Amino acid sequence: MKLFVTIQRPDYFVPWQNNELFSGSGSGFIIDGKKILTNAHVVSDARFIQVQKQGDSRRYMATVTFAAHDCDLAVLSVRDDSFFDNTHPARFAGTMPGLNEEVTVIGYPRGGLRLSITKGVVSRMDYAIYSHSSRDHHLVLQVDAAINAGNSGGPVVFDDKVIGLAFQVLTHAENIGYAIPLPVLSRFLADIEDGTYHGYPELGAAFMNTRNPALRADMRLPSADGGVAVYYLDPFGSGTGVLKPGDVLMSVDGYPIASDGSIEFNNNRMLFAELLERKQIGDTVDFNVHRGEAQMDITVPLKTSRDPYAYRNIYDKQPEYYIFGGLVFSPLTRPYLRALNPDAGDRNEQQLIYYSEYAKLDGLYKGRDEFVVLTARLPHKVNAYADGFLNGIVSKVNNRPVRRLQDVKTAAENHNGPYHTVEFIGMEDMFVMDAGDARRAEAEILSDYGVPSPANFEDNQ
Amino acid sequence: MKRALILFTILELFFCASTQAVSYADFLVDVIVTYQETDPLLPWQKTTPLGRHGYGTVIKNGHILTTESLVRNHTLIEIRRPGRGKKLKVSPLQIDSQANLAILAPPEDRMTRGLSPVPLASAVSLKDAVRIIQTDENGKVQIGNGKVIQVAVKQLPSSTSQMLSCILLTDLNVGGAGAPVILEDGSLAGLMISYNSSSRTGDMLPCQVLSHFVEDAVNPPYRGFASAGFIWSPLINPAKRRLLNVPDEESGILVLACIPGTGAAESLKPNDVILEWNGFAVDSLGYYKDPHFGRLAFSYLIKGRAEPGDAVSLRIVRDRESMDLDISLSRLLDTDALIPENITGSQPEHLVEGGFVLRELTGRYLRSHGRRWQYALDSRLVHMYLTRRYSPDRPGDRIVILSRVLPDRVNVGYQDTRNVPVRRVNGRKVRNMKDVFRIRGRDGHIERIGLQSMSVDLVLNARLLEEANERIARIYGLRSLVHRHE
Repeated sequence: MKLFVTIQRPDYFVPWQNNELFSGSGSGFIIDGKKILTNAHVVSDARFIQVQKQGDSRRYMATVTFAAHDCDLAVLSVRDDSFFDNTHPARFAGTMPGLNEEVTVIGYPRGGLRLSITKGVVSRMDYAIYSHSSRDHHLVLQVDAAINAGNSGGPVVFDDKVIGLAFQVLTHAENIGYAIPLPVLSRFLADIEDGTYHGYPELGAAFMNTRNPALRADMRLPSADGGVAVYYLDPFGSGTGVLKPGDVLMSVDGYPIASDGSIEFNNNRMLFAELLERKQIGDTVDFNVHRGEAQMDITVPLKTSRDPYAYRNIYDKQPEYYIFGGLVFSPLTRPYLRALNPDAGDRNEQQLIYYSEYAKLDGLYKGRDEFVVLTARLPHKVNAYADGFLNGIVSKVNNRPVRRLQDVKTAAENHNGPYHTVEFIGMEDMFVMDAGDARRAEAEILSDYGVPSPANFEDNQ
Repeated sequence: MKRALILFTILELFFCASTQAVSYADFLVDVIVTYQETDPLLPWQKTTPLGRHGYGTVIKNGHILTTESLVRNHTLIEIRRPGRGKKLKVSPLQIDSQANLAILAPPEDRMTRGLSPVPLASAVSLKDAVRIIQTDENGKVQIGNGKVIQVAVKQLPSSTSQMLSCILLTDLNVGGAGAPVILEDGSLAGLMISYNSSSRTGDMLPCQVLSHFVEDAVNPPYRGFASAGFIWSPLINPAKRRLLNVPDEESGILVLACIPGTGAAESLKPNDVILEWNGFAVDSLGYYKDPHFGRLAFSYLIKGRAEPGDAVSLRIVRDRESMDLDISLSRLLDTDALIPENITGSQPEHLVEGGFVLRELTGRYLRSHGRRWQYALDSRLVHMYLTRRYSPDRPGDRIVILSRVLPDRVNVGYQDTRNVPVRRVNGRKVRNMKDVFRIRGRDGHIERIGLQSMSVDLVLNARLLEEANERIARIYGLRSLVHRHE
């Protein structure tokens, strides 16, 4: 069926406001339990959604039941049950077709009211970035059938059964379209069975190949091949505390890991990370590990990763901010970076790029729960001379360390001194503002600039 | 009768001026430079030799004064008298890239015997009328008129440091660096260092800077120009002024950080507010009233009215209290920075071991990665450059990087590594390439490199290194595996 969606995204520069509305359309199909499966990117930040079946003139209102932004999948429900009259849910295939098998892509490319069908072959199974979150890598099914905007969410069919869901294309290339393949679809559907989407577990182990014989000898590896060396463990990953830096992962769930990190699985060579793709939070993964001189089996329980430094795209949320003295503070987020489009030649803006890319690896996150940024100034005489501090990352307000946005509020409100001071990471200079003047100017600034509320904190923080 | 007399006087003046013009050819020489730069990415090789042309001015002792940027990376410097064919090879006596000045010492020759020096002017001021001397395509001396329309301390084109310079408005297109500028009394007002033909203005290094340089160069050891040794900002935020207890609304600049190893680091502290510098009041934007030039950036008190090693008395506010203190001025070179610019493109210290190319990060290296280098390069390196480049934690600290790996069978597995900071070599911490050379000298080889934030070292087989180095040098055309200063 076709989806008609009205979308409105928040303005991360003016975080109490939203950007212009726009209309989108996409495709979707009915699955078991009177649900509609589509892409998360079709319905993210949607204000209003309608669905229309092929051959039916009526549009039905739909709501999002589950949205998994990390794997770009969403489930919709329709309140009016009559929508499902004379329909039958799509059947999923049991296994993926092989390379060169002919598949059909069904949907509504570039809008249009009538169903469009394109054909192609399975070009390859790959492991690639999902651009909706612009952060997560998962399995993808590459087909050479034409896939265009509007196809998103439509089924890819082989032998009358669904084997994938069309979702993105490779630009600047010819006939490379991507679909979300069965393993990702079934993992998602299994994940939401208990009524909540939990997401993917992250192992969080950065590793290097062990091709060099001198490195192998140095690590006292017994064989001539195999294993990857863990050089860093992400503090928010499941591996931390169980694996150790310097461990060499020799096998995963019984599959030997080659020295380039690949495993032989179902007669295919693939990255060992692709095996973790199929796991749920609460599952475990078994490694055979070479540590020091010993060989040991280690089981890693897979946990939810609450990682504020992953810098995924954010959807379906209003941005957090806090304003005092006309200074707008927000946590560093990917949407903010996108809105800012940082100038890498500007010291403060470049620092945001570095902190977002190296937060964990270079240990920049230590002592903080998020990076709080001075994102804007609502010009007023109390905050004159603050411009040089814009896009600085706040380290202290009124001499209190800032771990998260809430700390700015606490430090600003519980301060009796004559001056507010704001200090920034990597800056020797600090910003100073008269506390009395700032307090007296507060209401005037908010009303002059039409700010409905001096703060927005999301409840789940 | 009276009118005739005036006319006659004018004629005589005109005559005088033209005889003066003839003698310009006696102190002006063409300087022809062949230069060759070090390849910024492959530091063991040089780029194609190219040529530059500019002017030199004969001063006392037969020395020739010209700009450093003209003779930069020279492989051959020659001089020629305007309109003549004969060239004479000369060598530099002293070069200062901070002041963009060079003194050439020509050998005794028939050509040099015909030259006569021009005296340096004692001062040049705003609104001075000047003449700019150069040669046209026929080798004829060309004289243009100009006027000094601005005197300021600013960063010179083709230099990284701030110097006193003048902007001239001219009626002549100035081509070629180092063209002499002459005052009405025939003395040398300065050297042209850049020119913009659309605005008909150009930058001139004034005689005040020239005489500082010349006096220093002929009285070795060369001491150069002093630097502040601290980073400061204007202090204009009234709330901050009250917080720091700086009562007078107009004065004081804020010290943000001191550069380790300088005199400033011994005396000054961050958050000090400098009110007076050697008796001159410094305003909140960092200007003072110069007795000769009027309002001028206070850095001229350091660069122009002092020498490295001089003690200077300061009036400051520290911890809300006024106090006096003395600081001694230091000379800070580009090479004192954590990340030197290496604007002159001198061959960087580097070492190639087992195909690992180790070197220190410089501004020139970063910039050689294209016009959008800030985007093209790893954000970690760009961040270090933008935030910390002047301030090593300790004097001598640099950022050692593994800039690339020249693929060979000895380094399989590591060949994609590029531009990562190196923290340890053979298990020991390294602060600069000197440490790397010392460790290699002691151990005989480098078999283990620890990269930033990686807890697994890159390991090489020490027994295979000698053979691998020989092979890598041959295959990649390395003249030598090591370049070490001194």
